[in-house]
Amino acid sequence: MKILACYANKGGVGKTAASVNLAYALADVGHRVLLCDLDPQGAASFYFRVKPSGKLTETAFFEDVEKFTRAIKASDYDNLDILPANMSFRGFDVFLSRMKHPRSRLKQALKPVVGEFDVILLDCPPNISTLSENVFRVADAVLVPIIPTTLSQRTFEQLIDFFKDNNLPTAKLYGFFSMVQATKALHLDTMKLMRKTYPQIMLSATIPFASDVERMGVHRAPVLVTAPNSAAGRAYRNLAEDVILRTGL
Amino acid sequence: MTIPAEGAAGQSAAYCFLLPDPVAWDAAQAPVGKLVPVLRAETVSTPFTRLDTFDQALRLSNRMLLEHGTTWEVFLPTGQTLSQSVARRQKRAADLGEGPVRQALADMSPLRHLLPFGSGTLRRASLAFADHRGKIRCRADLLCLTTGEAATATLVRLQGLRGYDKALATLRHHLQTCGGTAFSMTTLHNLLFPGQMIYCAKPALGLATDLTSVDAVTRIIASLIPVLVQNEAGILADLDTEFLHDYRVALRKIRSVLSLFKGVYGPDQTAALKARLSALMAQTGTLRDLDVQLLERQLQYDAVPPSLHHGLDCLFVLRTAARSNALTKLARHLNSRRHADDMSDLAQLFAAPMALAPGPKAMLPIQAMTSMLIWKRFKAARKLARCIGPDTSDEVVHDLRLQVKKLRYLLDFAADLYLRHALKPALRTIKHVQTHLGTINDLSVQLDDLQSVISRTKTVPDTEMHQLAQSLGALATVLHHRRREARHKTEAFVAPFIDPLTRDIFRALAHPGSPEP
Repeated sequence: MKILACYANKGGVGKTAASVNLAYALADVGHRVLLCDLDPQGAASFYFRVKPSGKLTETAFFEDVEKFTRAIKASDYDNLDILPANMSFRGFDVFLSRMKHPRSRLKQALKPVVGEFDVILLDCPPNISTLSENVFRVADAVLVPIIPTTLSQRTFEQLIDFFKDNNLPTAKLYGFFSMVQATKALHLDTMKLMRKTYPQIMLSATIPFASDVERMGVHRAPVLVTAPNSAAGRAYRNLAEDVILRTGL
Repeated sequence: MTIPAEGAAGQSAAYCFLLPDPVAWDAAQAPVGKLVPVLRAETVSTPFTRLDTFDQALRLSNRMLLEHGTTWEVFLPTGQTLSQSVARRQKRAADLGEGPVRQALADMSPLRHLLPFGSGTLRRASLAFADHRGKIRCRADLLCLTTGEAATATLVRLQGLRGYDKALATLRHHLQTCGGTAFSMTTLHNLLFPGQMIYCAKPALGLATDLTSVDAVTRIIASLIPVLVQNEAGILADLDTEFLHDYRVALRKIRSVLSLFKGVYGPDQTAALKARLSALMAQTGTLRDLDVQLLERQLQYDAVPPSLHHGLDCLFVLRTAARSNALTKLARHLNSRRHADDMSDLAQLFAAPMALAPGPKAMLPIQAMTSMLIWKRFKAARKLARCIGPDTSDEVVHDLRLQVKKLRYLLDFAADLYLRHALKPALRTIKHVQTHLGTINDLSVQLDDLQSVISRTKTVPDTEMHQLAQSLGALATVLHHRRREARHKTEAFVAPFIDPLTRDIFRALAHPGSPEP
């Protein structure tokens, strides 16, 4: 089982759209995927028409295997389940950490549930918080969508610094360009520069700025379902292929 | 409608319901509370044929095999179905390419042909039940099978989705309200093929120990006559060699019961019946011999070097042609008015046994008579078995085979009269000996046939005759060698039969009231 975290310390960069489509693409090729909507805005749950559960407000939630199991909802698609957004996910990082620990009682208790999944994909909230830091530590890969602009480049560099300052391995960081407008010279130049600067970190997939992605909120379904052959659809498939290749899925 | 493994991401339990009502198809697609059905896929009506072996082995093992288009679809006892494309018209499960259906039918005999046992049409629909947000909360697969105006069955398989157990419960309740019941293969068969009898080569007799011998024997024969009739259509259609085999076994059992329970009917009555049955049996011998030879084809090819296969090709061309002639001859007989009248007369005779002239032993209680016969037959067989040694003549071995076979029939007829645990060891010992003696006999018959092939063959050119003779010579050598080996082992095979313990087992059967020794 691999834990993938989709993270951006800046809002509006296409993080949730990437999480949703990546989860769908991985499930579509046969991986059993659990998408955890950790962003309090609950956009990933919204895209899958899954209602956040009102019952998950107790702090002990992540220590209670039964509650965790019950909170998981099937999506409309094969191999893809959702853990919907909930405001009380404060203990999630601790939960993940225990889950990965081989001798953890929680891991043993969760075996039947977690064993069902090949991939746990976390749609993380923005900002570097305690949750984010612990998620970075536990995740096998941290996927970062980057709009190819100077400010986004700077934010990404801050994230790399954060990894270094906190003794987190930068090898698990993977950046990919998002909301790319090929007509903008700035985008093209930034992409060229960043690929040259971070050849190991940057993935080859490039998600275009596209109305198909924006319309996900209308259709409430992944682009890969509503417009699988669009430029955005193809780009998300490429992203999934990159991730499979780099993480050994 | 393949059920995925339980616990796969996104899925909870699956439930399969059977709805008998013709309107069930529409009822299963109606909105249920706040759940709205969304049709995802639908097929048009497609014709299907139900396939099974001559003895309906699939039906008896709670399975159903349908052929539609170029697909075979097998229904498992749970209602789960597996399907596989078939490249061309297949006749046996063993001929299928690798796939789930072949795997599901792996226990079927490779010799058994799959025959049509009814037909109809099928159509499918795939539904999703969604809430007011459009979120799918449960899935349903529908399969409607129709074999006649009132013969309809709708299978509904509900696939629950994780986290939406309430929706699954609501739909289950809805289907139960519509008359749905948990899937049962027996119910499905009865709905689609009402009145279709299950073939049984060994009908239950329910003999009471104090029944008179004449009533018991009459009941045994009356139960075997329908077996003869049921197999006739299969023999005529030439769908599987097993039809003729079972026909002959039933005929032989009737003849044996007349011989074994001598004195139950009057001597003239017995002689007349035996003559009629012998006449029936005589019609079938040639075809059965050729069936056995053709079934042995691969074994015989494997027995000689490839350089001699051309001669065997000639041999099997001759055998195939001879079989065709034998079948035509038997078909003419079975289709004849005379035969139909004969069978009808025979059935009526045993349905109204007052017309049968009783013999001096007619009123003996069946168990007492059977016990006496078992002991007598066992002693006769044992006496012959004691003589078996390296130099014993083939005639003695042949006589032993006949005695053992008759003893086996007696025990089969006596199944209701003795406790199962008393009969079982006796049957086990007999089967062991019988199988071995049967092998020797088969090899003898094959050798005799090979020796007569050349004299019977007139239409083969000289060059081919030479190759045929070479191959026959080689085959005869191999068969002779095998027969000699089997014959050498006979003493060891019959040893358990002359063991004192076996004698005690049979003595206990012969004297069921007395304490076991």
